[in-house]
Amino acid sequence: MGLALPVSACAAGGGPAVEEAAGRFFAAVAAGQGAAACALLTDAAARSLPEPCATSILDAGLRGGPAEEVAVWGSEAQLRLPEDTVFLHRGPDGWRVRGAGCRPQGDRPYDCEVSG
Amino acid sequence: MIRRNGLSLFFLVVFVLALAGQSFAGLGAYNDDQLGSGGYPVSWGAYVTSADFVVDVAENWQSEYLQFLLFIVITVWLVQRGSPESRSGGKGDEVRPGSPRWARVGGLRNMLFANSLGLVMGVTFVLSWYAQSVAGTAAYNREQLSQLQDPVTWPEYVASPDFWDRTLQNWQSEFLAVLSMVALSIYLRQRESPESKPVGAPHEETGTDT
Repeated sequence: MGLALPVSACAAGGGPAVEEAAGRFFAAVAAGQGAAACALLTDAAARSLPEPCATSILDAGLRGGPAEEVAVWGSEAQLRLPEDTVFLHRGPDGWRVRGAGCRPQGDRPYDCEVSG
Repeated sequence: MIRRNGLSLFFLVVFVLALAGQSFAGLGAYNDDQLGSGGYPVSWGAYVTSADFVVDVAENWQSEYLQFLLFIVITVWLVQRGSPESRSGGKGDEVRPGSPRWARVGGLRNMLFANSLGLVMGVTFVLSWYAQSVAGTAAYNREQLSQLQDPVTWPEYVASPDFWDRTLQNWQSEFLAVLSMVALSIYLRQRESPESKPVGAPHEETGTDT
């Protein structure tokens, strides 16, 4: 798909790269490009969806929006959107979505439509 | 040169070897966790510059320096009859030929020098503990996010069970080690070791400056 970002291994200052990766993911979902969206998921997150991923990702009811808050800690990031919370993981080819469509559950892990 | 500094050089070498060993073993454990949680493995370079490695190093450093700080400072006031680790009296402030310059002068410099060992151990302990808390916050938050949970602030982390679990599990082992050294050295000997009383010394003999 050619969507991978050449993100550096630096732990700090990953906010813009995280926002960009999440932005491309939600743009692909909004455009109905399921395969492109799935390519931006971690392998585990993609496997967590019913086959085929390209179809089920579009049925997950994911909505993007402007980032309200970004937290980056090492190879993990959390992006708060008006109607969603997204978790990302940095792999060898950049940031990928590991959790989307997530709702808080108090002290317990977020309940996500897509997670892995 | 090497023979005259053999003790320091030995511990410097084994320290570096152990730290290097920790970095490779830690990398293996870290990457196992990464793969187990659906993440990707990292390189050795990325691991040794990560908060996960730093917190593991710092939590052990702070406890070691706390151990020596307490050992140095508490033995000023408390004694253990029969232990060579306990002082038996005398300040040892007498100036003699070859005494360091700051021991011969008065005032602030003398006071600083007279407490410099405890001060350096204390400052290093505080800095290491602070480093543990900062790196611990980052490592804890990375793990929180990987488990789809919210990150915490530094004050929240310092009040968290994770911070105190890391801290106290190290402290308890250091305190036990000191207790063992103080108590066992009353009755046990190690021939030719300055950490032991002479083999022929009575059990009741206290300190090394009698």
